[in-house]
Amino acid sequence: MTVHELRTRPGDAKRGDASDGAVLADQVGGRLSRVDGPAKITGAAKYAVEQQLEGLTHAVLVESTIAAGRVRSIDTAAAKASPGALLVLTPDNILPLRTATDWLGTPPPDVAYCPLARDITFSGQHVAAVVAETFEQAVAAAALVKIAYDEAAAIVDLSDPKAGDGIPVDAMTKEWGEAETAFASAPVRICNAYNTPREYQAPIEPHGLIAKWQGDQLTVWEPSQWLDGMARTYAEWFGVPFENVRLVSPYIGGGFGSKAFAYGYGAVAAVAAKMLGRPVKLAVTRPQTFTAYGGRAATRQTVALGANAEGQIQSIVHRGVNETSVDGMWVEPLGSVTSVMYATPNFSSRQNVVRVNTVVPGALRAPGENPSAFGIESAIDELAYEVGIDPLEIRLRNYAEQDPHAKKPWSTRQLREAFAAGAEAFGWSKRNPRPRSMRDGNQLIGWGVAAGTYPVRRAYGEAVVRILADGSVEVESSSIDMGQGTYTILAQTAAEVVGVPAENVVVKLGDSRYARAGVTGGSRLAGVMTGAVHKAASAALDQLIGLAISDPASPFHALQANTLVVANGRIASPRGNGPEVSIAELLSSVGREHIEAKGDTMPANSTVEDRYKNYTTIAMALPHTEGDYSRHSWCAHFIEVRVDEDFGTVRVSRVVSALDSGRLYNPKLAESQWKGGIIMGIGQALLEEGIVDRRHGRIVNNNLADYLIATNADIPDIEVISVGIPDPHSSVLGGKGVGELGIVGVAPAIANAVFHATGKRVRDLPITLEKLI
Amino acid sequence: MTSKTRTPIQLRINGHRHELEVEPRVTLLDALRDHLGLTGTKKGCDQGQCGACTVHIDGQRVLACLTLATQAESRDITTIEGLAGEDGTLHAVQAAFLEQDAFQCGYCTPGQIMSAVACIREGHAGSDEEIREYMAGNLCRCGAYPHIVAAVRQAAVEAAS
Repeated sequence: MTVHELRTRPGDAKRGDASDGAVLADQVGGRLSRVDGPAKITGAAKYAVEQQLEGLTHAVLVESTIAAGRVRSIDTAAAKASPGALLVLTPDNILPLRTATDWLGTPPPDVAYCPLARDITFSGQHVAAVVAETFEQAVAAAALVKIAYDEAAAIVDLSDPKAGDGIPVDAMTKEWGEAETAFASAPVRICNAYNTPREYQAPIEPHGLIAKWQGDQLTVWEPSQWLDGMARTYAEWFGVPFENVRLVSPYIGGGFGSKAFAYGYGAVAAVAAKMLGRPVKLAVTRPQTFTAYGGRAATRQTVALGANAEGQIQSIVHRGVNETSVDGMWVEPLGSVTSVMYATPNFSSRQNVVRVNTVVPGALRAPGENPSAFGIESAIDELAYEVGIDPLEIRLRNYAEQDPHAKKPWSTRQLREAFAAGAEAFGWSKRNPRPRSMRDGNQLIGWGVAAGTYPVRRAYGEAVVRILADGSVEVESSSIDMGQGTYTILAQTAAEVVGVPAENVVVKLGDSRYARAGVTGGSRLAGVMTGAVHKAASAALDQLIGLAISDPASPFHALQANTLVVANGRIASPRGNGPEVSIAELLSSVGREHIEAKGDTMPANSTVEDRYKNYTTIAMALPHTEGDYSRHSWCAHFIEVRVDEDFGTVRVSRVVSALDSGRLYNPKLAESQWKGGIIMGIGQALLEEGIVDRRHGRIVNNNLADYLIATNADIPDIEVISVGIPDPHSSVLGGKGVGELGIVGVAPAIANAVFHATGKRVRDLPITLEKLI
Repeated sequence: MTSKTRTPIQLRINGHRHELEVEPRVTLLDALRDHLGLTGTKKGCDQGQCGACTVHIDGQRVLACLTLATQAESRDITTIEGLAGEDGTLHAVQAAFLEQDAFQCGYCTPGQIMSAVACIREGHAGSDEEIREYMAGNLCRCGAYPHIVAAVRQAAVEAAS
């Protein structure tokens, strides 16, 4: 079953993404191929650090080899004397910077910021940097920097006896009813612990930047999920006006949450460029990408489900812990899915964070929802076996008809439809519920199901739309495309609104000089930006038609029409009488070079300060439960695994996922993103794990051969089915989030399938062979 | 490590001869990207693990990050920039990648495409299973694998007909 077929079944014309067969590829909802595709398949697409600049120098970082302690001394003599070396930066000679506002908009303390450390809190911390004329010279010189340490005992991870129970995060507490009492008196009780390890974003484009100063103007070419937020950080570090910093990020080679902030190495490169008076390129090496910024925190959860004999949940008691760094705070919200997926009269979720000697963890695709779903979606599968009910049936018996936590109706929730469509396409009804009941030779076959969800994060956006003299249309925004398809869906939006072919629309993104944009994260950008472009393009169209009707030089002037229509780049009367001219001809006849309109979706009375805050922090983002509804995207994954009975190796052999992301702006690209999330989830379930050396507190598998991500040979065909309907409460054009949804629920679906295949319940990711034999 | 002498070398890339002076320790990948501005070939790990730097030398797929520029002298180097026709006509593999949406961020894509061209030429695109195995050296974190398989299959069928 394809999305297309599902959409067009009889009597169901209003479903989903409007790709009902009548939608042209050019329009919103059409299957237009990526407009940035030709540049990417020919090698013409220049990514941020690929700019060729005159006088470019190269910086290489030197990192701590201990996880805790203090730098006693740094011997830079040999590095300085090394051929081509221009500058050796250490905490002793680096220019002082100011602390910047964080992403929440918290005013920074008035203390200096130094991106090179004397006090070491994790292995891999930046201690020094060497800048040289060539990359090779910088690498060679960096190897000559000698650092002496006073080493202290490190807390290496959550299982370290020194780690303790951590700090309660009261903001994470969610409680209603009498959860503990109700659990204690429930006829059926299960209670288990679920763990996820450190995981890494591992985008194939490593992080890095080129920094160049001209006077007090800084230009930074850096892959970025948030140009305006990062520009603000650089500006505040250096005490220059926001407008003095230009971020350029035309293409981003994958982010997955890791490219939204300016990190310490960015400060190092920008300082070096200032001190040298020359542009500096700093490319973070692949091993350094494991410590230059944080991946997903390791998590521990306990999920207790109390139920009656029919499998109806009476109470959920959930306790979670995630690791954070010694001097930074990251909360991975572990109760996020637990609190919304199933109806329960009694609920309690609390969470602690535990400080360990690591880089501060960060966002990785569906932070919070991803590990949260591993807990609750494994636990309900265990409950299903405990009471002897089909794992799909038990989910329907506990279906939440409204948001159990917010006590508000869902804006849209096509999860029941997802279960039905997925089960039908997968053939779930043919499943023998008994573990170890299906086999093919020495392979044990298991079928598992799990659901996923992600909240709809909404924000305000702006865009500029121009209609140019040649009749083409230009869209400008400082938002970005890291593969989600922003270039393409904004071209479709402008094309549909103005009435031109999409090939006549040029979308310009990734430059902070364009109309501002907030963070590309939390699956919010498509909904925000299609809304903003729709508004700007509508305003541009109004101007165009206004000119055509009222300008004395217009061929339509004598027609005295109330309105005109624009289609396929040509303007005409809706009745078909009168002239028909191209946009270019009209603009020429009225003597206009172009029409320009700026559109934003900010509240009407917004101040300049509001706008700055909106685009450079997340303080103005709208909660998903704001107003009358609770807004989420939803999905159901049906997965088949084959487990070698002798070796315990697990292969995913079949995936069918049905997903509700509301209306899809471009199903072709949305399907790709969903599948990408599912594939990352397969890697998470079976392969991915940051391994800590317990003696030195360092990540030992800090490279792509040892930190295993899924390869082509690990992935079967994947079928995705859209079951969404337009959701007017979630975005201007009716879409909900796409990018993060797909991964949520994949790991528990695989763990559940592995249990079905083997009778062994693995509650500790990844599911590796030693846990099965 | 201590030799800093720049050596004049000639590289034949996409049918064009380039003269440059590089230290012997400069990799082919850095020569292409930093010295010649041919940035279509990507650096994903610089240690031979991800496949993003895949180019062809004398028609064979190799990792440019594990090849010194001097090793590639007097051999035919093909990069992603040299795959399309002189008139801009896309190679069948490129066209199939676009049609099948076989990429998202695009960063592993040049390596995937160079690998796919060689995979088909080697006769390793006979089945989806075979394609998955012989394309497994090119990592894609966006997870475009099923679409990459579809694109290679499509291009292989076209090449055979």
